[in-house]
Formats: sequence, C-alpha cells, structure tokens
Amino acid sequence: METFLANLFNGLSWGMLLFLISIGLTIIFGVMGVLNFAHGSLFMLGAYLCMQFVRWTGSFWTGLLLGPPLVAALAVAIERFFLRPLYGRDVSLQLLLTFGLMLFLDDGVRLIWGAAYHVVQPPDALSGSVAIFSQSYPLYRLFLVVLGPLAGLALWAFFTFTLWGKLLRAAAMDRQMAEIVGVRVPVLFTAVFAFGAWLAAVGGALAAPHQSVGPAMGERIIIESFIVVVIGGMGSFPGAFVGALILGLLNSFGTTFFPQVQMALPYILLAGILLTRPRGLFGAES
Amino acid sequence: MRKEGLVRVLVLLVVGIFLFAGGGLAADKPVKIGFAYIMSGPFATYGQFAKQGAELAIEEVNAKGGILGRKVEAYFEDTAGKPDVGIRVIRKHVFENGADVVMGIDSSGVAAAVAPVMTELKTPLIITHAATPDVTGSKCNRYTFRVSLNINQNIAMAAAIAADTKVKTWTTAGPDYSFGHQSWEYFQTYLSRKKPDAVFLPQAEVAFSPAATTDFSSYITKIMNSKADGVLISLWGGNLIDFVRQAVDMGFFDGKREILMTLGAATEVLYALKEKMPTGIWVGTRYWFLANDTPVNKAFVDAYVKRFNVYPSYNAHGAYAAVKTYAAAAEKVKAVDKEKIVEGLRGLSLELPVGKITIRPEDRQAVTDGVWGKTAADPKYPIRILQPIRKFTGAEITPPVAETGCKMN
Repeated sequence: METFLANLFNGLSWGMLLFLISIGLTIIFGVMGVLNFAHGSLFMLGAYLCMQFVRWTGSFWTGLLLGPPLVAALAVAIERFFLRPLYGRDVSLQLLLTFGLMLFLDDGVRLIWGAAYHVVQPPDALSGSVAIFSQSYPLYRLFLVVLGPLAGLALWAFFTFTLWGKLLRAAAMDRQMAEIVGVRVPVLFTAVFAFGAWLAAVGGALAAPHQSVGPAMGERIIIESFIVVVIGGMGSFPGAFVGALILGLLNSFGTTFFPQVQMALPYILLAGILLTRPRGLFGAES
Repeated sequence: MRKEGLVRVLVLLVVGIFLFAGGGLAADKPVKIGFAYIMSGPFATYGQFAKQGAELAIEEVNAKGGILGRKVEAYFEDTAGKPDVGIRVIRKHVFENGADVVMGIDSSGVAAAVAPVMTELKTPLIITHAATPDVTGSKCNRYTFRVSLNINQNIAMAAAIAADTKVKTWTTAGPDYSFGHQSWEYFQTYLSRKKPDAVFLPQAEVAFSPAATTDFSSYITKIMNSKADGVLISLWGGNLIDFVRQAVDMGFFDGKREILMTLGAATEVLYALKEKMPTGIWVGTRYWFLANDTPVNKAFVDAYVKRFNVYPSYNAHGAYAAVKTYAAAAEKVKAVDKEKIVEGLRGLSLELPVGKITIRPEDRQAVTDGVWGKTAADPKYPIRILQPIRKFTGAEITPPVAETGCKMN
C-alpha cells in the first residue's frame, strides 16, 4: 500500500509539471499552428528567474509571481518580431526558428548565470513532509499534486466561460472565420504565445524547488511534453491533462515494476497511439 | 640613387623577416594542447572547472618559460558528453588546431568511442576524468593514457569501506549507461572477494535511471521499499544533485541504510548542495583538496582559490595534472614529437597535488592514491568537507595488468 501510494504521488507530481508545460505547448499549437521547440527553454528561463528573485528577496512566492510575467514579456517580443513574419510560410521555417531560439536561450542562460547548478529552497510553509502510513512524503510534492488539477480547472473555466477563452477557441477552430467576424487575430496570437510561455515559466518556477536549476534542464521535459501532446491529441486541452497523467504514472510505476523497459515505455505508448488513433486520444477529427 | 635605396629596404626587409621567422621557428612555435570537455548541457559545470584547472597549469608552465622553451597554447572544445561529437572535436583538435596532445574527456561513453580513434590520429590522449576500465583495458592502445582514477580503483575503495560495514544486502542507484552498470558489477565482484556472504539485489530491483532524469522520486521510493540496507550510488553531476535533494525530502537519509556515493565528493556537487548535503555519508572522488598537505598540493589549492575563488574540484585537478604530466614527459624525452611523448609518458612518475603517480607502461593507467571520506560540516568551509578521511595507496587499489584485459599491439 505504501509503495503504491508513494508511486502514485511520484507519478502525479511529475505528471502535473508535465501538464503545465504541455498545456502551453498544445495551446500554442492548437491556436497558432506553431510547434514551439523553445518551449523547454522558456520553462528553464522560468526556473532561473524564480531562482534570481529568491536570491534577491528570499521569497519563493515572489519568484513564482514575478518571474513568469517576464518570460511572457520576452515571448511577446519573440512572437511580434520573429514568429510573425513567418506565418503563412513554410512550416519548416518556424521549426528552424524555434529550434534556434532554444539554442540561443540555453546559451544565454549560461552566459548570465554560468554553468553551475543552483538550488532553490521550497517555501517554508511547504518544506516539511507529511506522514503517509509508515513513510514520510515531502509536502512540496503534494502541493504540486493538488495544484495540477486546480490549474487545469481554472484553465478549463477560462476557456469555457470567458470571452477571451471563447475567442481563443474560435480562432483555433477557424482562423479565417474568426477574422471575418471581427476578431483581431494578430493580437490574439501574441496573447496566446505569451500565455503559453507564461505557463511554461510557471512550470519552471514550480520545478525549481524540487530539482536543480541548471543549463539544459528543459531538455527532458520538452521531449516528454511532446509525447504528452501527441498522445493526448495535438491542440486538445483534456488530452494534455490525460496524457500528462499517463506519462507521469508510467514513469513511476514503470520504474518499480518494469525497470528494464521503463525508458522505452513512453515511446512504446506513443507508437501504439499513433498506430491505433493517429490523432491522439482526444484529437478532433478534421 | 633611388634604386640603391630600394635595394637597401629590400635587404633590411629580408633580413628582418629571416630573423623574425627563423627565430620564431626555433623557439616560439607554441606547444598546442587540445582540451575536450563537456562545456554545455546539464554537466557543463564539470567542463568549467576543468578549463580553470587547465588555464592555471598552463599559466604556471608558461611563467617558467614554457615547455622546452616553447609557450603552451590551449584550445577548448565541447564534447557535449556525446560520443560522436567527442570524436569530431578530437579530430578538429588534431587536424584544424594542430594539437600536439589531446586531454580531457568527462564521460565514459565518449572515452570508449574516442580511444580507438587515437591510433588512427597518432596523437597522445590523456584522459583526466572518464573512468571506464575499457580505455586502459580491452580498448587500450599506444596513444591513450589516463592520469585519473578509473572505476576499478574507485570501486576497490568502495568495496573496502563496504566490507567494514554491517550491511547485509546491497542495492545501487546509478546512471543507466555503461558507467553505472560497470560500477555496480565491479562493486559486486570486489565486495564478494572481501565478504563472500554479501547479498546484492537482482538487476530488476536496483535503480538505474536515464541520464536525462530530473525527477528521481520513483527510484528513491523503489530503494526505500526494497530490503536493502546498503546503497551504492554512482550518480554524478546534476543527477546526483537532484537525487540528493529529493532523497533528503523523502526521508531517504534517515540513518536506516549505509550510503556510499562513488563521486559524492565532487566540489561541483558540494557547492550546489551546500548544507543540503547530508553528513555522515561515505563519498568518493578522484581528488580531494584537503587530503594531503604536501607543498605541491598546498601551492595548487592556494593558487586555485586565489584565482577562481572556489576550492578546486577533482575535474579541475585532472586537467591541471594532465598538463603537468605532459610537461614532465616532454622534459624527460626533450621533445614534443608525438611518438616521443608517448615514450615519455610510459612509466613516467611525478608528484602532483593528488600525490605521486606512476603511469603503468603496460596499460597506460596511472597508479594513483585514492581517498574516500565521510561528509561533515565545518564552519570554516562553505561546503561539506570529508571527516574522517580514509586514504588508500595506488598499489592496493589498482588491479594487476593481467586483470585489465589490455593487450597492447
């Protein structure tokens, strides 16, 4: 029972981080049709900025609050000056651009903060651990487990009930039609890209207290996020949630029960989904 | 009149060029060292430290007039920790930068790929970090040398310490590539020799994690729920930092198990973790800056701290040691010709900050002293230090040549 619970929480907490990254990735893809390779770097930037604010102010919450908007501001500049000229052109140009941005951001971070690893303490209120049966489990991880569904719920409400959410969905469904009825699509695109980046940075800031902050920390998570997005269905919101949960749990239970193939499990799942449901679990039929 | 002036200028020019270039050829052509370390990605801090160590050594050598009167020049390239990139940058060093010798290599995977290429490039390679036994074993060759401890030597110390504990059942947490697996294999072999009744968990119950792992919780859970009361941890770099932080939070260091970290005393890791590194854990390293108080070591540590404001890591020492070793070999054979350097390095003995080392002529592995210690807090240092320290002589931890599988052609 303890093993099961521990694995469950391990999987859920990692899954929730994955979810925050994947949701940004999938929104950006769904609305703009852009596959953003630099998304992992925005995650990393969120972690570094959070660390910097913790250094200045000593408070994790300040970092979580102030870091991500800066990343979003950077994303506005990226969208406005680099991505926008490429809309309507060959998709490979977008891929090249975002890939280049990734390399640029990874090295930029190293220039500013150096190659060393950094450690961010979890906030005092969340730094303890709680007893679960005979074992203790870190509070911060439980916080992530709770936060994930809450964030998901908030996003769902945003997309369903607010005007902006409806506009986004409209633009994602049919960009031309949205433009005809008077939606200012370019502004919307900038907002979407910034919002996705903000989510990635929030993920990074949340990841900072439980892993080391270092260069290329976005590498692993971006690959798994791509898998999540494909499994769930490109551009699908519930798909990202379910996909992240599956991958997180596969990670934790796989380690315990199928250690030899654990590394391959996400890819086997990916291949299986692509063969049976090429649009992903929640992908819309076109 | 004008013609005469022109001739005079010409003569002056020719003489000048002759003096300049001739003099340059004789004494000023620099000795070029190509360094290949991980300078990007999650392990980049290792390359950073190595670069500092190399720069310090080269400054010292140049301040004393260089090698055989020639200045030393350094070239740094990034292997990214990938075997194919490693081979590419080594070729670049030799063909483009004109390196007289190549040094470095952090990852065992890169070392195993690069070593066989050296026979083709006919250029000496001095490995300063990668620990796979293969490059001075089954893949040994004329041009590949190593001045740092290898897996066998380090694990021999781990086994000696493990034999003195009360642990009944051992498990491991390591990176899921050759380094992690070999560390675990040798640990079982060496410990079984000393303690035939030692029990080891089967392969399916130990914890090997992919190098890109950042969330170790499931591996930690797995170990905590196993029946093992001793853990050999061969994770290193960012992996080890993440593991320790998450393990601390999950109550892994509750005193119920004996823990040996084969590379836990890397200052790269200790600086990142600071007081988050638990005390009372056995940790290994390739070099520990407080392990001996010879003048050579003191001079190295003082110069390093003065220049870079941190204590030297074993990787900094490795790069520093390789430069000094190369210089000593060149002085010994009075040449920097690649073939002569190979002869100079074979069987070379010299004193380094880590102590006296001897490069075995048969397999080109340095016989060097080793050190393990228990992590302890000391207000005089910003990082955990080792207290007590256990020292081992090179002779007692280095397996005989016959055991390495090295057949030199």
